[in-house]
Amino acid sequence: MSGRARVRARGIARSPSAAEVGRTPVSPSPTSVALSDNEASSSSGFVETSQISPNCKDGISSGNVGSTFMERGVTINRNFMDLDICTRGKLAHVRDCKTGSSGIPVKLVTNLFSLDLPQDWQLYQYHVTYIPDLASRRLRIALLYSHSEFSNKAKAFDGAILFLSQKLEEKITELSSETQRGETVKMTITLTRELPSSSPVCIQVFNIIFRKILKKLSMYQIGRNFYNPSEPVEIPQHKLSLWPGFAISVSQFESGLLVSADVSYKVLRDETVLEFMTALCYKTGSSCFIETCEKQLTGLIVLTRYNNKTYRIDDIDWSVRPTHTFQKRDGTEITYVDYYKQQYDITLSDLNQPMLVSLLKSKRNNNTEAQLVHLVPELCFLTGLTDQAASDFQLMKAVAEETRLGPLGRQQRLARLVDNIQRNKDARFELETWGLHFGSQMSLTGRVVPSEKILMQDHVCQPVSSADWSKDIRTCKILSAQSLNTWLILCSNRTENVTESFLNCLRKVGSAMGFNVDYPKIIKVQENPAAFLRAIQQHVHPDIQLVMCILPSNQKNYYDSIKKYLSSDCPVPSQCVLARTLNKQGMMMSIATKIAMQMTCKLGGELWAVEIPLKSLMVVGIDVCKDALSKEVVIGCVASVNPRITRWFSRCILQRTVTDVADCLKVFMTGALNKWYKYNHDLPARIIVYRDGVGDGQLKTLIEYEVPQLLNSVTEASSNTSCRLSVIVIRKKCMPRFFTEMNRTVQNPPLGTVVDSEATRPEWYDFYLISQAACRGTVNPTYYNVIYDDNGLKPDHMQRLTFKLCHLYYNWPGLVSIPAPCLYAHKMTFLVAQSIHKEPSLELANSLFYL
Amino acid sequence: CRTAGPAVMPTISSCKRRSPELRRRGLPVARVADAIPYCSSDWALLREEEKEKYAEMAREWRAAQGKDSGPSEKQKPVSTPLRRPGMLVPKQNVSPPDISSLSLKSDQALLGGIFYFLNIFSHGELPPHCEQRFLPCEIGCVKYSLQEGIMADFHSFINPGEIPRGFRFHCQAASDSSHKIPISNFESGHDQATVLQNLYRFIHPYPGNWPPIYCKSDDRARVNWCLKHMAKASEIRRDLELLTVEDLVVGIYQQKFLKEPSKTWVRSLLDVAMWDYSSNTRCKWHEENDILFCALAVCRKIAYCISNSLATLFGIQLTEAHVPLQDYEASNSVTPKMVVLDAGRYQKLRVESPGFSHFNYSNQEQRSNTPIGDYPSGVKISGQNSSVRGRGITRLLESISNSSSNIHKFSNCETSLSPYMSQKDGYKSFSSLS
Repeated sequence: MSGRARVRARGIARSPSAAEVGRTPVSPSPTSVALSDNEASSSSGFVETSQISPNCKDGISSGNVGSTFMERGVTINRNFMDLDICTRGKLAHVRDCKTGSSGIPVKLVTNLFSLDLPQDWQLYQYHVTYIPDLASRRLRIALLYSHSEFSNKAKAFDGAILFLSQKLEEKITELSSETQRGETVKMTITLTRELPSSSPVCIQVFNIIFRKILKKLSMYQIGRNFYNPSEPVEIPQHKLSLWPGFAISVSQFESGLLVSADVSYKVLRDETVLEFMTALCYKTGSSCFIETCEKQLTGLIVLTRYNNKTYRIDDIDWSVRPTHTFQKRDGTEITYVDYYKQQYDITLSDLNQPMLVSLLKSKRNNNTEAQLVHLVPELCFLTGLTDQAASDFQLMKAVAEETRLGPLGRQQRLARLVDNIQRNKDARFELETWGLHFGSQMSLTGRVVPSEKILMQDHVCQPVSSADWSKDIRTCKILSAQSLNTWLILCSNRTENVTESFLNCLRKVGSAMGFNVDYPKIIKVQENPAAFLRAIQQHVHPDIQLVMCILPSNQKNYYDSIKKYLSSDCPVPSQCVLARTLNKQGMMMSIATKIAMQMTCKLGGELWAVEIPLKSLMVVGIDVCKDALSKEVVIGCVASVNPRITRWFSRCILQRTVTDVADCLKVFMTGALNKWYKYNHDLPARIIVYRDGVGDGQLKTLIEYEVPQLLNSVTEASSNTSCRLSVIVIRKKCMPRFFTEMNRTVQNPPLGTVVDSEATRPEWYDFYLISQAACRGTVNPTYYNVIYDDNGLKPDHMQRLTFKLCHLYYNWPGLVSIPAPCLYAHKMTFLVAQSIHKEPSLELANSLFYL
Repeated sequence: CRTAGPAVMPTISSCKRRSPELRRRGLPVARVADAIPYCSSDWALLREEEKEKYAEMAREWRAAQGKDSGPSEKQKPVSTPLRRPGMLVPKQNVSPPDISSLSLKSDQALLGGIFYFLNIFSHGELPPHCEQRFLPCEIGCVKYSLQEGIMADFHSFINPGEIPRGFRFHCQAASDSSHKIPISNFESGHDQATVLQNLYRFIHPYPGNWPPIYCKSDDRARVNWCLKHMAKASEIRRDLELLTVEDLVVGIYQQKFLKEPSKTWVRSLLDVAMWDYSSNTRCKWHEENDILFCALAVCRKIAYCISNSLATLFGIQLTEAHVPLQDYEASNSVTPKMVVLDAGRYQKLRVESPGFSHFNYSNQEQRSNTPIGDYPSGVKISGQNSSVRGRGITRLLESISNSSSNIHKFSNCETSLSPYMSQKDGYKSFSSLS
């Protein structure tokens, strides 16, 4: 209902939100530890004492790859886990060719760069043991690297597992070194594996190599991405600075190894926590300073520039001063002041400041006590935007101007990155020793599939732009609508007049679109949620078709209590409208039109259709999210119940599990198939399931756990008829971006652009589709991966069908970024997770009650 | 109400033990609950030490059951297996109702039985490695019987104590997302020992047996932990028996109808939003700050739900102690809390009588004259035309009485013998109930 939610649900280009630009990861470092090139995490970044210790990066840099490999085998980062899964091999109809041919070819530039390596390139994995055994990883690394044998070799070593691009002469190499204390240590290096360049482990090592390269370009890792503090974009009027940076990853694509690079920004505030505290103290006075300070600061993410790491402020320790001492890992006591002086050559100016406390997520063994670190407020910079800042239009505009790069700006930034890598001697050397060659930007050919006609009741319209056809259908009647005879409007005294004129408007636009709206019963209530709820309880009876509430404010309480009661306790479709929205005089007609459409859908009406050549096709959308309160998993499933794909069966199920894998799909599918049978007296011949909300590394679980549930319900339902199933995984966020070259500049590709070659993966039946318009910035393609397919549709048809389904979201007269059933499922899970917190009544399942 | 004291009632374990025997005697005892009526008459004849023996067994048995309950037993709200009434077999994982506090000789005894509903809120839940898992901050308790409704209540804020270093944000966030009780410097918080003592005094004013206490199964772990924690702080040793409301409802239902309701049904019965904003439900502080999450409100709402669905099945006339009727009854009086207009008439009227703009004015005037209660009341069916007014009032009153009766009808069919749920495609049905 809120504008933001709607925009998010609609999936069109978003206005920059705080979360987006100043993405503030809660965990300061990548979620996956294994093989991350996170120096601080490996090289005694924390002075690990059982007591509270400050965080610092050790001065010694051995230039190593400090990664946390497991003792024997290598733990695969979650990002790379999916790479092992080969689904295409099982799909006979696409084994040879998964590309379509229809549509107009279009030349596209990508943000992908080729990474060439010799044909016979191999990675050699060694296991290194030390006698006597050494605990310090730093020491292990230093000893190994000091050997001349390794000095000029490309290597990656975490203290136990060593990767080399060149094979050592012997299978088992024995070396010995002497430590500074004069102790002789024997090292045994044993070859354990030889890996081809396509192996997931190799891909991981390539990613490590690229992180090293970015470090050599003096970029710093924050979260998963790399940023350049030396070229900040300052927005002085808002005390903000933006660090430009990149998200880079190497993966195996159709045509070989490719590096994808995307522009990213880190929003930082030019204000230390100490400055913030001082200003706050000045403002509030000392009486309630501590309380206010704790309230305002806890939960914020800070960045310490001496090591460019981020922390969350979990607490403030008012009893500790910088002059107090702490115990380092080696047992020595040192004051914070001295420590920062020695380690970073930083002199603390305020010796009376309290200390910030941050709770570190334990990385290796989860059951040990969480570590606390003390941070000095003077050295901590605030990051991200406060809610207050995010609601400041001018500020957000200023940020957006910098961060929402159009295709051209993005292209220029990428070109500069490539240039920098190629010019930097160290970076080039690193690549060369590994035998890698960083190549050119890749361009490919996509296809623009034909645009769709919108079928209205007695009119077929060819929209001028498929991004928004609201104008085109203004004069047309919608497919079907139930007449609205018995309904209620709740409003407050203040909003009575505006409600009045809105109602007139609604009736007018309703009759134009073929939606008959009778006069409602208008109930005037006090301006508080309790009054609204009570009025609803008193006046709603089973004949009421719909309840409309004109909300005096966007306070969450109103919306939540109304939705909770009317979706679950007493299932009646409800429509909440903010009084503020109705005050926009000039826009009354278009607002009324949109609301009338929503109301139609909530009553079970159909707005428009597109031509679907497949008869007897059921499409299903599944999305998953976490409940905001109980942290239960909310699973939303929406299935079409008529061949025209205009009517839907929606069900939301709450699951008390930790993982966001659905285990209730059978129940849902059985219900949906029953519904289909009821309306069509037959079962659907084909079922296509679009699954959204899949995280990294979940592909395997999906194939092994969710697909069987779907299959099972389908086979059980149709014992004699054959009912074929396809499952498609959707990713809204994917690395590749595509631009069209036009008149020597680059632009966003046209709507309906399909890419199914080169930027796809060889082992999957996948494609990209651009079905949303970006009014600003660069469009993000949606990635589709067909993981199961009995239907055997030609890739062309699968792509076209997917595109058609992007036209059917009734909350927006235009194309949306993902197929409509998925967006419906998303909208429903959002409503349940944010407001209702329990399963909506099945009474409502036949209408799009959550729009 | 306390005449039906615990001394004269059979324990579950005695019933369980004697079931085979009763069956041999040809009595229709398929499950423990069925055995109760037969045992209860015998119970009074038992000697004290025999009773003690059974009581001990009951404790052990309950302890074993208690382990099973909790989060793991939560059922998916889907695919409740269809069971015919005759086919009811005791299910191992569903703990039979604990009806030990009730004399089950008759409905009357059941109706008079007293239950306490308890809830304790915490500032979030700390991770397992912490010694302190919860920070108790608010307690609510309600004394209830089906017959009388809510007989008394107890509410207090608790001083949570020092927040473990490093968890301030965690606790703050947990508080902000629910009850919003300040995590520090909250002057209403009482120290834990006092609160616990007051609670004991509330539930156990006279010497004798301690009554069983009920809370929702989701909250049980937290409430239990907090009780133990507070007892440690106060050095009062008294292990309260904490049972789940869900089991209580199952028990009462079984007792009355000799059928086992599904857990889903019980859950949906207890989890309704309709009382969220009812007056005299939340504690003063939560009411004033308009925050829904209140420990007292949770307990009172349990009572409302049970009254609304179960007490009505016993034919009890609901009173204000059962459900917040006052909110609804008020509207039946001459001064309803809102104005109902027929917009169609309103439209026509506006055309007919230009003097209609008086409406707002007169309404305000009316309001200013009425005493300020929860709501400034005042209905004014306005318009100059007397015939319109008259019809309006008739209609209004009609509609109000319709709707207020609807409300009860509605919630009844929602939460009790729900025809809604059973007709839904078969997967939420309890044919056993219909």
